[in-house]
Amino acid sequence: MALSRQPAARRIQSDVLGIVRQNAVPLLFLALGLAGVLATGMNPYFLANETINRLARNSFLVLSLLIPVTAGLGLNFGIVLGAMAGQAALIAVTHWRIPGLSGLGLALALCTPLAVGLGWFAGMILNRAKGREMITSMILGFFMNGVYQLVFLFLVGTAIPMRNPAMLLTQGVGLRNTQDLELIRWSLDRLVYWRVSGFSFPVLTLLAGAALCAVLMFLARTKLGQDFRAVGQDMHVAEVAGINVDRTRIIAVIISTTLAAWGQVIFLQNIGTLNTYNSHEQVGMFAIAALLVGGATVARATVANALVGTFLFHLLFIVSPFAGQRLLGQPQVGEYFRVFVAYGVIAVALGLHAWQKRQQVLRALARDKLAAAEVSGD
Amino acid sequence: MRMTKILVCALVLVLAVSLVGSGCKKVVQEGPLVFKIGLMTGTVSQGEDEYRAAERLVEQYPGRIVHLTYPDNFMQEQETTITQIVSLAADPDIKAIVICQGVPGTAAAIDTVRADRPDMIFIIGVAHEDPNTIIPRADIVMEVDNPSRGKTIPELAHAMGAKKFLHYSFPRHMSMVLLAQRRDLMIETCAQLGVEFIFVTAPDPMGPDGIPGTQQFIVEDIPRQVAVHGKDIAIFGTNCGMMEPMIKQVLATGAIFVEQCCPSPTHGYPAAMGIEGVKGDGALAGNMPAILEAIRTKVVAAGAGGRFATWPAPINMVFIQAGVQLAMDIVEGKADPANLDQVKAAIDNAPLMAGAGEAQVKRIQPGANYYLVVLGSYIFK
Repeated sequence: MALSRQPAARRIQSDVLGIVRQNAVPLLFLALGLAGVLATGMNPYFLANETINRLARNSFLVLSLLIPVTAGLGLNFGIVLGAMAGQAALIAVTHWRIPGLSGLGLALALCTPLAVGLGWFAGMILNRAKGREMITSMILGFFMNGVYQLVFLFLVGTAIPMRNPAMLLTQGVGLRNTQDLELIRWSLDRLVYWRVSGFSFPVLTLLAGAALCAVLMFLARTKLGQDFRAVGQDMHVAEVAGINVDRTRIIAVIISTTLAAWGQVIFLQNIGTLNTYNSHEQVGMFAIAALLVGGATVARATVANALVGTFLFHLLFIVSPFAGQRLLGQPQVGEYFRVFVAYGVIAVALGLHAWQKRQQVLRALARDKLAAAEVSGD
Repeated sequence: MRMTKILVCALVLVLAVSLVGSGCKKVVQEGPLVFKIGLMTGTVSQGEDEYRAAERLVEQYPGRIVHLTYPDNFMQEQETTITQIVSLAADPDIKAIVICQGVPGTAAAIDTVRADRPDMIFIIGVAHEDPNTIIPRADIVMEVDNPSRGKTIPELAHAMGAKKFLHYSFPRHMSMVLLAQRRDLMIETCAQLGVEFIFVTAPDPMGPDGIPGTQQFIVEDIPRQVAVHGKDIAIFGTNCGMMEPMIKQVLATGAIFVEQCCPSPTHGYPAAMGIEGVKGDGALAGNMPAILEAIRTKVVAAGAGGRFATWPAPINMVFIQAGVQLAMDIVEGKADPANLDQVKAAIDNAPLMAGAGEAQVKRIQPGANYYLVVLGSYIFK
């Protein structure tokens, strides 16, 4: 009623302000990205192709984070576990020398049971650490990294009978630090590869990401999707309503870990070499940063957040070193500028989310007060 | 309404034509000797030597060298390394790319670049990726002859009076095939010489504690080890970040220091010994004989004459100078990447090799353009 008395212009103004406030983080990144593009005067083909390429190889990993957020587990740093499963499968496929799509398919098939197992394990632990899921999943990632190193640095060639001089270190124990994935390199990316006036599109990889978006949106409408939301909103209420909370949470982590494993396989077929002991390390941090940049919060994340975030985060990662170099004239300043902007803005994103949440709480409080005053006035 | 449609169509057309036009223009620009060299090094936080060498080359060849850096956090940010290299190739004037050090992502970047520009020349100094991966991709790789150093370092340590040999490293480095081979050869050589070999695992500087964690460990551990094993112990480490605290502590405890992971008079020594004027426009910058003399004076003054040594030239800087020269010669058709003598000549003629004698260069395996380089040692006494 109060709203309808406002003049139209002011209403539009307040609507615009509301939209800006709600999307402050992605808008900030968009502004920074655009400023960077203008400052660098970069070759538009390079910029567009690099952005498309990064969007194609990273979107699957970022999308794998959505379900745990819905189910109230926050940002799942544990997708590193899935990435390790994907890499283990790729190592096996490289060892057996299975080329092309069949190699890629086998890697996807092999990593699935492994990722489901790891996801179940992570889910069990996270159920025992309710309310502290994010830090627990992060530490779980460090722990599993130790197990991964143990397996591939010491057990391969001793307990695991593998004799492959091209992959093992010269003493016959432990994998070399780089594995050449030449046999499956670009097997998905270049299967259908459109080149339209200087722009390149890895069609199937982009379609895989799109298909996952569709599946996730469909899943949200099923009974399971509603269970995720119910558990995410209030575990106690969900429990009372007859939902098996622990089981639902484990399913969420299993799905997330498995998608991350597939995402890592897709990522690495694009890169073409596996950095045996480090490729998985950055996965959680960068995927989460991208999601946050897209305007997601620890409690709410959508497909749109994931896609917009991946695009903006990588756009900034591409332009910021060049922008730094152009503006300040020194190549290394470009690198420092990139680190400063990229990580600084992640911190700003988290800060802005906290601020927005506070504003919401304050507004709700003000509303309640007003309502209470009206009631008492009557 | 129709006007708007026509206007939009016209604008799109103009945009398309200008895009295609600008693309074409750059291709036509190609001509003899009008080319640039892309150069990628770390920032000063990873290895000051390489960055400064690149800076000097940019000054020496104005407008012909495009210098970029790879991320400080290169183990985690492969995608950035790839983007940086691919961005160099997006400039059609760049005909060759020199990378020192060849951090992870280099091989993937070469694949991506070659998909569009199969003629691009790649020269790598110090490849982190496995030889099996990098040999089929790069035109030239120059690397310190680590397997040979597995023999030369313990031998020199023994000659300098070491009864024990301490090797600091961590699993990530020990998964690099040449470093693992070097360690195995060190164990063998030590056994032959009757020197006790001790392996100590230090925290990985790329781990959660970062470079400070590793440095702190080195500062704390060397006095402990010297207390247990006595002063006649040679200390060696595989990571650049370890060098400065290591040299400091070896000097403080009276142990022996044969050479750095990446041997050079400027790596660790000036900072550890408090020698000024080595960087930027300083009085000693680029003057290797003067820097060696300054270190010698400090070592002798501390009563540690004959207990410290290094190579007489900063090898990574030499790789950058030789790499850029080779890149220019190859693009101009004056050099062949498969010619060992030409590679050796480029290394020997690098300005920083003045007064450092000749380099020994050999191939890692027959037919591979992966060249292993060793220089003689300079003992401070």
